[in-house]
Amino acid sequence: MIPSPGDGWSRLSPRKLLLDPVKAIGQAFVPVVVALVGISQSDGGFGWVLLPIAVVAPLLFGALPWLTTHYRLTDTQVQVRSGILSRNTSTAPLDRVRSVDLEASLLHRVLGLQKVEIGTGVDDDRITLDALAAADARALRTTLLRRREPPTTGPVEVADAPVDGEVAVPPPSAPPAVELARIDWSWLRFAPFSLGRLVLLAGALGVLSQFGNDLPIWNEETARSAWEWIIQFALVTVVLVLAAGALAIWLVVSVAGYVVQWWRFLLVREHGSLHLTSGLFTTRSITVEKAKVRGVEMTEPVLMRLVGGAELSTLATGVEDGVTQVLPPCPRDVAIGVGETVLEHRGPLTAPLVEHGRLARRRAWFRQLREAVFLVVVAAVAAWWFDVSWWWVGAGGVALLLLAAAVGESSYRHLGHALTGDHLVAGSGQLARVRTVLETDGIIGWVVSQTWWQRRIGLADLVATTAAGNERVLVHDVRLEVAVALADAATPGLVREFLVEPAEAG
Amino acid sequence: MSDVVLREPAHRVSPRAVPYWRLSAAIGDAIVAIAAVVAYVVVPGMPGWTIVLVLLVVAAAVAHVVLMPRIRYRVHRWEVTDTAVHTRSGWIGRESRIAPISRVQTVDSRQGALMRPFGLASITVTTASAAGPITVDCLDADTAREVVARLTAITAATEDDAT
Repeated sequence: MIPSPGDGWSRLSPRKLLLDPVKAIGQAFVPVVVALVGISQSDGGFGWVLLPIAVVAPLLFGALPWLTTHYRLTDTQVQVRSGILSRNTSTAPLDRVRSVDLEASLLHRVLGLQKVEIGTGVDDDRITLDALAAADARALRTTLLRRREPPTTGPVEVADAPVDGEVAVPPPSAPPAVELARIDWSWLRFAPFSLGRLVLLAGALGVLSQFGNDLPIWNEETARSAWEWIIQFALVTVVLVLAAGALAIWLVVSVAGYVVQWWRFLLVREHGSLHLTSGLFTTRSITVEKAKVRGVEMTEPVLMRLVGGAELSTLATGVEDGVTQVLPPCPRDVAIGVGETVLEHRGPLTAPLVEHGRLARRRAWFRQLREAVFLVVVAAVAAWWFDVSWWWVGAGGVALLLLAAAVGESSYRHLGHALTGDHLVAGSGQLARVRTVLETDGIIGWVVSQTWWQRRIGLADLVATTAAGNERVLVHDVRLEVAVALADAATPGLVREFLVEPAEAG
Repeated sequence: MSDVVLREPAHRVSPRAVPYWRLSAAIGDAIVAIAAVVAYVVVPGMPGWTIVLVLLVVAAAVAHVVLMPRIRYRVHRWEVTDTAVHTRSGWIGRESRIAPISRVQTVDSRQGALMRPFGLASITVTTASAAGPITVDCLDADTAREVVARLTAITAATEDDAT
């Protein structure tokens, strides 16, 4: 029934036999307990017959993948066989391997295992080996990545950053693993200014409030008496205390999240790839082939900009999600430095951008004010309907319009473009300042679009299409002639044959 | 170089696109307009001013059916040179797309059920970017076949992975 692996096929690590059943029991635990409780309540005694089944079934199902999954490395391919009834064989030509990512959850790490994901340039087609012994996984990764390099003389030692223990110094015979960045705990100061984790916190609070509903103390009577109690004291004090509490929770959550995610963060360049490792509980190890990196994106979220922080992502082709964050929130200078090293060019991240002018500013303001006016109208209708004081609508409307004006002005200030040598640079963002840099070699087409509003004042949106990152780089609200000239300058020869003097265009 | 503009691509789409666009717009708009009228007639106790809304919907539908195909026929243009594909489309907005032929990955042609009686077909050229597909709507079916054959021949000759 179960073929023994021969012909160079190997199984996953036998420790997977522990990993999967534990995971399966973890997943099956709640349904099984619910079922057992339900059965034992309805029909006493019968449930104990089912108990062994409930325990054995997850163990059995957990063991099956290990028995049926085999992989091997031939001279030209990686092959993975899996499945019981329907056999799947995934293969990837070795010269198509673009990235090898290692990941280990806490459970993986306790068992000394790692999950290997092999990316082959086609976005969805990733080969996953879950799980190999950590040493095997690293050896496999080095083998796969080294094959792409031009042959080096002599044996080459593995120069990996081990997951545990101190970071190893590369042996002298190894290709130089150039360190680009490592965690600096003074960067923790940026953690509270990065609002990405706020969503998680809100989600957690939502879950808690679900439980809160079931708590016996929380009924209408206690609520009312509590409310009266609050009213008796100064409302302001209560609000202040709540705000301070929320701020304290946020500080703890954001700093803890930063530590968990970026623990032992290290970004190096080796084997012609960028290689990132980090994580306290779940360790991630992400590899992006250098030749596939087409650009970078630097984001300065509005709060982080106040304290001079920035984030950096690479835009690559053939990665599952083309945008890979390669730096934690860190000082702007560090982000620029690493960005320039990745791009191998100075300038794109610091060069001044060409402004888009008066009309673009008008559009930016107009766009925000239009939305604000719409909201005010909706609020006014609602106020009229529910008979709310007009004072509130007025105050809210003024606040909203001021906010819209501020956002409009800031989104105009972030707008801009530049062409620095081989790189197209686009500035964007409403509250956050985003600078996207794309190699002109990575541009595989242009889209010039104009809405009716833009046509009236001669502006256009220029999109450089690309296979990397989000697959498009947008230069927003730029004058049509400037857009066309920019496209022509960025990709010489492509647009030229479609250009004419304005008089002939009619 | 700043005082040059993008010229329009060389070829218009098939003139039969006009009646095709008109018919497909008419079908879609008729459903909306009839729904509006029926709602007005069936629902009792509508305030008087709602008739204005219904009339506006009907007027917009008529204007769309009459004007859109003509404007669209003037705007839609396409051109395939030895090095690039260039199209212009839209009727209220404008959109020009250019892609180098060396980066083209697939060439598809499509003929909808409603396009068949008019002898029309559309071509879609895709590149490695999800943001970059170029569609030439409503070509004469024979022209479409020729263009597809030509594009396929050119792209088959290039061996790059086009990213």
